[in-house]
Amino acid sequence: MSNFFYPKIAVNNIQKNNKTYIPYILACICTIIMFYNMSFLSAAKNIGNLSDSRSLRQILIFGEGVVGIFSIIFLFYNNRFLIKRRKKEFGLFNILGMEKKHIARVMFFEMTIIMIISIIAGILAGILLSKLMILILFKIITFKVVFGFEIPIKSVIHTAILFSGIFIVNLIYNIFQVHLSNPIELLKETNAGEREPKTKWIIAAIGAVCLAAGYYISLTTKYPLAAVGGFFTAVILVIIGTYCIFISGSIVVLKMLRKNKKYYYKLNHFVSISSMLHRMKQHAAGLSNICILSTMVIVMLSTTISMYAGIEDVLRNRYPRNISVYVSKVSESQIKKINNAIEKQTSILNAAPKNIINYHYIYFITIQKGERFTIKEIDNYFPPDAAELVLVTIDDYNRIANESESLSKGEVLLYSLNGNIEGDVINISGLKLNIKRRLSSLYKEGRLTSIMANSYFLVADMDTIKEVQNLLNSGRNNVEHFSYYYGFDVNAKRDIQIKLTNALKNDLTKINPKVNVEGAEREREGFYVLFGGLFFLGIFLGLLFIMAVVLAMYYNQILEGYDDKERYNIMKKIGMSCEKIRQIIKNQVLTVFFLPLVIAVIHLMFAFNILTKFLAMLNFTNVNLFIICTIITICVFSVIYTIVYALTAKTYYQIVRE
Amino acid sequence: MSILEVKNLKKVYTTRFEGNTVQALSNVSFSIEKGEYVAIMGESGSGKTTLLNIIAALDKPTSGDVLLNDKSIISIKEKDISAFRRDNLGFVFQDFNLLDTFSVQDNIFLPLVLAGKTYDEMDERLKVIAKKLGISDILIKYPYEISGGQKQRTAIARALITKPQLILADEPTGALDSRSSEGLLKLFEEINNEGQTILMVTHSIKAASKAKRVMFIKDGEIFHQIYKASMTDEKMYQKISDTLTMIVTGGERNE
Ligand SMILES: Nc1ncnc2c1ncn2[C@@H]1O[C@H](COP(=O)(O)OP(=O)(O)O)[C@@H](O)[C@H]1O
Ligand SMILES: [Mg+2]
Repeated sequence: MSNFFYPKIAVNNIQKNNKTYIPYILACICTIIMFYNMSFLSAAKNIGNLSDSRSLRQILIFGEGVVGIFSIIFLFYNNRFLIKRRKKEFGLFNILGMEKKHIARVMFFEMTIIMIISIIAGILAGILLSKLMILILFKIITFKVVFGFEIPIKSVIHTAILFSGIFIVNLIYNIFQVHLSNPIELLKETNAGEREPKTKWIIAAIGAVCLAAGYYISLTTKYPLAAVGGFFTAVILVIIGTYCIFISGSIVVLKMLRKNKKYYYKLNHFVSISSMLHRMKQHAAGLSNICILSTMVIVMLSTTISMYAGIEDVLRNRYPRNISVYVSKVSESQIKKINNAIEKQTSILNAAPKNIINYHYIYFITIQKGERFTIKEIDNYFPPDAAELVLVTIDDYNRIANESESLSKGEVLLYSLNGNIEGDVINISGLKLNIKRRLSSLYKEGRLTSIMANSYFLVADMDTIKEVQNLLNSGRNNVEHFSYYYGFDVNAKRDIQIKLTNALKNDLTKINPKVNVEGAEREREGFYVLFGGLFFLGIFLGLLFIMAVVLAMYYNQILEGYDDKERYNIMKKIGMSCEKIRQIIKNQVLTVFFLPLVIAVIHLMFAFNILTKFLAMLNFTNVNLFIICTIITICVFSVIYTIVYALTAKTYYQIVRE
Repeated sequence: MSILEVKNLKKVYTTRFEGNTVQALSNVSFSIEKGEYVAIMGESGSGKTTLLNIIAALDKPTSGDVLLNDKSIISIKEKDISAFRRDNLGFVFQDFNLLDTFSVQDNIFLPLVLAGKTYDEMDERLKVIAKKLGISDILIKYPYEISGGQKQRTAIARALITKPQLILADEPTGALDSRSSEGLLKLFEEINNEGQTILMVTHSIKAASKAKRVMFIKDGEIFHQIYKASMTDEKMYQKISDTLTMIVTGGERNE
């Protein structure tokens, strides 16, 4: 026997199974390209080492991890699909006298061939594409484009090791699979799963409960702070729910439809319902994967796109004025000095301030329960029901809003930035205040901290403020100083603004060490790097997941095709026209393949609330922009989905008609 | 009145490789009267399935014609063929051709659903047929849960439920044990006695001996035929087996 016997069989096998193996090899190559590029970006010297770059690098390293983990799951899952389909072939080899160790040898050569092709092609294509990737990334985060070409050896080695590892594990799994089963079983394997599945009420119930719980968490999340934990819990619940619903809920529904005789005994329904019922067992997992991946793609793209598109909004939210000065524990004489220093600096740099807003305030954190607020010292951890209260004097209010409102003791004007108080009374650690009027806007449209918790602004007279101050000092009557805010816009170039911010920081610290000067321009770059980095990652992972969806759909179609072929032959003999068959196939395939998309969109609708809260935590509050971005993402994704469906459906028809 | 007329059928298969041709039927002519029960016998590869497929409009002949009730089925347009097949013909196949995803009842309903009948009408027809075929108890079962004989009964019920002009059966006992075969043949006799025309292809002498007429096909031609008339099954059996011996030993045609 020549040395080339096994390699030859291996090549032959791959060619024979080209319908499934070529897409698999392509998917391997794409995955490797993606991984290499993420690895390349997170190691690229061009990104530099400044503080912004470091946070970008963190995002990219995170991305590398996600792509790596995804690759492992994705390639393993698809390998399992392939080997399952081929068990029959191996059974035949076995019966024809090929020993299992010979089969293992054939498998070894097959895997080696696929591995070498994929890794070499993947890394080469990855290297070629890497320059484009870094250009796109730099464009997005507004970094200056650098010239030159970089091939980090570390990334090449990482990629080669990770993917050889994946292929070797897959090979071991495959050999194990063949080793464990006997030839008769191997021959039967592909036909397994024809029995009508039992109605698994428990799984259906678990699915319904998980989905309901996930949706409930999403819908009832009121505070941005609760969104983080809640989001991940909800995601896990919804994933479990989706699997259960596809596995069992689908069967419950189909059986119900079958019970309705009038509906069931219509030609289209008759054939589709019965075949879907029998097929769900094998396909449920694939369909759930498609559904979950689709949801992830849409969530990732819509959030990162809207954040990036709304970056200027976010900046304005976070920094309501170009330059904002916050000073705590400040005396009236210091306030005068501060005002003067700001005037002086702006005139030196020839940057006249406008839209000036300055006022006194008292800021403290409470725990909110309805209209009851309990004052609480908080260091790092913000509990989800934390609320910020800001007291503003009636004098400042009248001055800035140009009104002549008057308040008596115990009366306040309320402006809620986020959150809600019902009724006309609020209770701060026992102190009751009557809400005289609610304001629809306040001159202070920004946030004192990033807007994580609910924020309420209370306009009150001095007597009332003193009482709150007493409370804050636990009755020690040691009246605390006000804090002071001074914010303004300037008509000046970016570098002047940054210069001004730095100069003010320098000058004002001398007056009061507890001063904080924030310049929107100085922070802008950081925002672009953060949001741009996330945007890039979103698109990148979105593409990767779309590829996974495509392959999952393709394999599902093939599976369906082989299953249906025999059945349609029989129906043809019994008197069904080819045209009718085609129509039924179309109906059925449409239902099966658009179901995941429909459910993904439903998930999304329920997730909407928690996503807006999640975004609010990142200072993104432009809900309309988010809605638009989500709708556009869904539309674009649906179009891609439909195109992929049309292309893969072709393969299905080919198989059925063969 | 003849229900089926087959005229000078010829079928040549061209194999895909090297342009080899196989002549499956060279010149077949016969006719079947309404209410007849005809068996066609022949060795494996003699063209029986080919003949049946052409009569069923599943395949086109190279030349010749097939008339069902004086209407040529060769000339039926492609888009009407399925409806024609469903309305006029009932099939019983050797390997049953039941759909695993349907219960026995739904398998039987399939042709009626195709024809767009209402559930009530289907149910009414089913009750009568299921009782006659003795499958009333297994209607809710699935094909993989029942025996070969039961599967074949199901297939017959499916063929009968459309009240076809002609039942075509291709080796219906081929995959059955002798007891089930016996039952099936009895069933065919019964439904034939009720007026159902049957054309059955078989290579079992026992099966053929129940038919009212047996035709022998050899080298793509009808070689010989025997009418049962008033003969007993045993006599018929003997006669068929004599004829087969004669065919194999290459004797002259008689009659
Ligand atoms: N689709 C086909 N292509 C080529 N030759 C065929 C085809 N179907 C049948 N034949 C040939 O025609 C002959 C008759 O076949 P068939 O009608 O199946 O015989 P039977 O059913 O009597 O066993 C055989 O020689 C067979 O090989
Ligand atoms: Mg045959």
